[in-house]
Amino acid sequence: MNYVIETDALSKRYRDSETVDRVSLRIRPGCVYGFLGPNGAGKSTTMKMLLGLVKPTGGRILLFGKEMNGKNRLQLLKRTGSLIESPSCYGHLTGRENLEIVQTLKGIPEKEIDEALDIVRLTGQQNKKVAEYSLGMKQRLGLAAALLGRPALLLLDEPTNGLDPAGIQEMRELISSLPERFHMTVMVSSHLLSEMDQMAEDVGIIHHGRLICQGSLKKLHERFRGNVRLRTLHQATAARMLDELAVSYRTEGTDLVLPERPKEELAGLVAALAAGGAGIVGVEAKEKSLEDIFLSLTGKQVSL
Amino acid sequence: MNMLLTCVRMEWKKLRRSRLWLVMAAVPLLPAFMGTGNYLNNLGILKSEWYSLWTQLSLFYANFFYGPLIALYCSYIWRVEHLNHNWNSLMTMPVPVRNVFLGKLFPALVCTFLLQGWMGVLLIVCGKYAGLSGMPSAQILLWLLRGTAGGMVIASLQLLLSMVIRSFAAPIALALLGSVVGLFASNAGCGLLWPYSLMLEGMNANRSEDMVSSGADFAAGVLCFLLLFVTMGVLILKKRDVRTGG
Repeated sequence: MNYVIETDALSKRYRDSETVDRVSLRIRPGCVYGFLGPNGAGKSTTMKMLLGLVKPTGGRILLFGKEMNGKNRLQLLKRTGSLIESPSCYGHLTGRENLEIVQTLKGIPEKEIDEALDIVRLTGQQNKKVAEYSLGMKQRLGLAAALLGRPALLLLDEPTNGLDPAGIQEMRELISSLPERFHMTVMVSSHLLSEMDQMAEDVGIIHHGRLICQGSLKKLHERFRGNVRLRTLHQATAARMLDELAVSYRTEGTDLVLPERPKEELAGLVAALAAGGAGIVGVEAKEKSLEDIFLSLTGKQVSL
Repeated sequence: MNMLLTCVRMEWKKLRRSRLWLVMAAVPLLPAFMGTGNYLNNLGILKSEWYSLWTQLSLFYANFFYGPLIALYCSYIWRVEHLNHNWNSLMTMPVPVRNVFLGKLFPALVCTFLLQGWMGVLLIVCGKYAGLSGMPSAQILLWLLRGTAGGMVIASLQLLLSMVIRSFAAPIALALLGSVVGLFASNAGCGLLWPYSLMLEGMNANRSEDMVSSGADFAAGVLCFLLLFVTMGVLILKKRDVRTGG
């Protein structure tokens, strides 16, 4: 099995609109895979198809190398934990009772409840009715339910939605620790591009239902390299020197913008320009953020 | 089978703290009062003692209360899933889809049974209050049991309706409408073809002569409808996309 999740041309068509259009996911074992895209791009629908909640209109799904169908459904769901859309919970029951339902239906020993409660730090509130929980607590309860039985695969749909900044940070740290701590593979969706830099190793970017890019985050950053901005007292001198050195650049107002280059090379270049009397007043190296990458892939600004 | 029992147990757990039993206990008092009042006011025409009392109680109970009460319970059973996106969790549990429906059907059937038992108790209490001697005959007990069988058909249908309809009240309104239409269907002689009529006919509501001419036909009607609604419920669960609205 090369991939924990593998889809081929997975599609969902509703009446006249294509919500998910020939998406072919490749999710490696033991990694956190960030599934990125603006709201309404098809993230939830894709994840719901992986879980059998929504029936695909085309393509196929392999989980753990097995086709997701009526025959394998139970076996695959047993190895999968999920938190889709906002957290599911029965408000009139206590946090513990909610987990007991999942634990019993999944056929897991009861002691795992304590462990799951401990991981999400809800042990103290386990006997309170969930209706009295804050949104953040419900989200954590949902995660605890997903973690029950330490499934090999975890699908988390916008798990940081509705959390306060401290909660968001905590959730991100928890998620990125899961592969190592429990040997889990995690697929986590988000519309917050910045979030992925902190959590994911691999990313897939979905836009208007189509997977426009997929691969390791590192490679993605490499592909969309950043740039260096030079501000000089004598721009014409600097430009002439760059021409002589055969360095490509473009002029943006008072700045000269150069493609990103290794640090040593940049240092040498700056020294040469300074020595030649360009009068360097500022050097700014800028790595491309995921936002920039998204922008260059789609040509669209997205909400952050 | 083991897995089904687990599902049933978990469904009971979800129904905890609902206080629905209070409603289930209180509402049947109304037709009992109304029926007994009617009986006592018309002692001149109603001379068949327990049978007469039964016609008055069942007149109100079967036509306006039993069906909607079952519907109320079924709506509650699904309400817990319609809230908080719980459908997502429900349908990603590693249990066979048929158990999801059957697990919920069981509490609905128990409710149907207990409601009818309560009606039996109320009949005796009201009879004693009205000064009747002895106990209701075994025939009335049979009608109660037949009514329960008809009620189970309603339970399976209402469970199906409340599963598909997110609204809490709409399926209950449908049950009331269905019961009233059921009276006309029975009068027109096609009671066996209308799921809500089976309960009316089984209870022999407000009649002196037995409405069920053939016990075998009645039993076949009950079984066919039960099978139909359960199959439909399971198939819809299997084929339909899970949708969670808000």
